[in-house]
Amino acid sequence: MTPRRARVLGLVTIAVLAVLPWVLARHQLSILVDLLIFGLFAMSLDLIMGYTGMVSFGHAAYFGLGAYGSALLLIHFQPPVPVALLAGALLAGAVAVPVGWFSTRATGIYFAMLTLAFAQLLYTVAYKWRDLTGGSDGIAGVPKTTLFWGGPSLADPHAFYWLVAACLVVSLRACRALTRSPFGRALEAIRENERRFVSLGRDARPFKVVVFVIAALFAGLAGALFAPFRGFASPEVMFWVLSGQALMMVITGGIGTLVGPVIGAMVFLLIQEVLSSYTEHWMIFTGAIFVLMVIFLPGGLVGTARRWMEARG
Amino acid sequence: MTPVLEARGLGRAFGALLAVNDVSMAVASGELRAVIGPNGAGKTTLFHLISGLLAPTRGRIAFRGEDVTALSAPERCRLGISRTFQITSVFPELSVLENVRIAVQLKAGGNFRLLGGRGLIQASERRARESLAALGLSDRADALAATLPHGDQRLLEIAMAVAQEPELLLLDEPTQGLSPEDTAATVAVIRRIARERQLTILLVEHDMDVVFDLADRVSVLHFGQLIADGTPEEIRANADVQKAYLGGAD
Ligand SMILES: Nc1ncnc2c1ncn2[C@@H]1O[C@H](COP(=O)(O)OP(=O)(O)OP(=O)(O)O)[C@@H](O)[C@H]1O
Ligand SMILES: [Mg+2]
Repeated sequence: MTPRRARVLGLVTIAVLAVLPWVLARHQLSILVDLLIFGLFAMSLDLIMGYTGMVSFGHAAYFGLGAYGSALLLIHFQPPVPVALLAGALLAGAVAVPVGWFSTRATGIYFAMLTLAFAQLLYTVAYKWRDLTGGSDGIAGVPKTTLFWGGPSLADPHAFYWLVAACLVVSLRACRALTRSPFGRALEAIRENERRFVSLGRDARPFKVVVFVIAALFAGLAGALFAPFRGFASPEVMFWVLSGQALMMVITGGIGTLVGPVIGAMVFLLIQEVLSSYTEHWMIFTGAIFVLMVIFLPGGLVGTARRWMEARG
Repeated sequence: MTPVLEARGLGRAFGALLAVNDVSMAVASGELRAVIGPNGAGKTTLFHLISGLLAPTRGRIAFRGEDVTALSAPERCRLGISRTFQITSVFPELSVLENVRIAVQLKAGGNFRLLGGRGLIQASERRARESLAALGLSDRADALAATLPHGDQRLLEIAMAVAQEPELLLLDEPTQGLSPEDTAATVAVIRRIARERQLTILLVEHDMDVVFDLADRVSVLHFGQLIADGTPEEIRANADVQKAYLGGAD
């Protein structure tokens, strides 16, 4: 895609996001906010998976840390929501430092297993540390406070939607810039051939740890938006099922494209939403759709669309 | 003058097998040294020891008089030792230009610029294009490395190493699998680069015509041991070498 076309597409998307709250019904808007939050989450996974070639099976841990961090802060101190977002993201990033440092000692499936093990560990902590996390009940009644001290309330659905949409757009642009920076280029080289990378003069591991932490920061941001939006945080938000779904979202949308996973998350959740209203066996159908997509749309939705556009010139 | 590279009693064991056994050699600045020997003689293992991808089980390696035995492969690369691989090793889904550019960037620094860094990228791109031009790959700059024919991928490997402006260049069978025409072209390129950039080169090569034509000196490995070391004329006349390699080649 030419840069010009990409820019036009970006502006159109922003325009659509700006118009949607005026045309959607209240519960539709609330679904949309959900889609955007999980889109942000899936995009963060793409940084390590698509750009660096490290498959994490435990990415939900950082979404969950963001959710708990923001929920606890909002419940106990009622700061403006952006403060809770920052805290949630930083909590996730801070935990990702030791986990990333440790997990990147391994590669491939062993890296995946280590990330999964750490995520399950954190899940257990959330489950058992009742005094802090409320155990299996989680933390309910997380308030949507204000935009800033003395500022407008975010309890209004439109207001919260704007906040989420802004977070997604800014994060997407930041990650896009990251992938084009010298650092991002180095990540791609690691993905392509780590042994060659090392023989060209740098250890791969510091790069992997840094991108792991950055991905956790954005996952934490998504989780930190989730808690006040839904009004709760519970252990499910760091369960391995969500980590697995994130992988499916990335693959559905198009690995290594950033926008792909956002779209993938939206499509994935919409299919789930529609199917689950018809049948309780919806998982069979989402599973089947996923398998068909992997077979017939390699590169995901965005990857396929790009190839199609290139073929047509 | 201190040699650019000096190995002393270098050894590497794989279990009971001594792949490299008590090798001592010195390579002078600006020299083009060929390393020859039958299959499995330990040539690639020797290159791994020099570049730091494998740790020796005994012996020491000095680069420009400085002991580098304890340094990692990335550290040795940054000091000035660049290499190519016998089995082509490039970044397949990156463009030819990006393959070379990242080689420049990784050595030059600024790798942790998370945002922006456009100036850095442009500067490394300029150097990458020079290197591509030197290897005659300029018109393939935008192709994905994986789509290049084998011969061009071999040249791309050399372009990546040369773009790092090393002092010592290790080429592990750069002409492997090439047609006679491509071999001749590659040899010409190596000769030109060696002269223009005053590189010290260590070259593994099976084609004896190429070796005797190109090399200033030749080292012969046999079952991990250095059995001869001398000018092409001396090596040609050496009876041990005749027996071990030239005569008994399969
Ligand atoms: N990682 C390894 N583990 C075990 N044995 C190895 C390993 N690498 C090499 N060897 C053995 O060490 C010996 C030397 O191998 P090496 O690849 O260095 O030979 P070479 O001279 O480069 O051969 P060729 O001309 O076929 O490239 C061989 O017997 C090989 O099987
Ligand atoms: Mg070899």
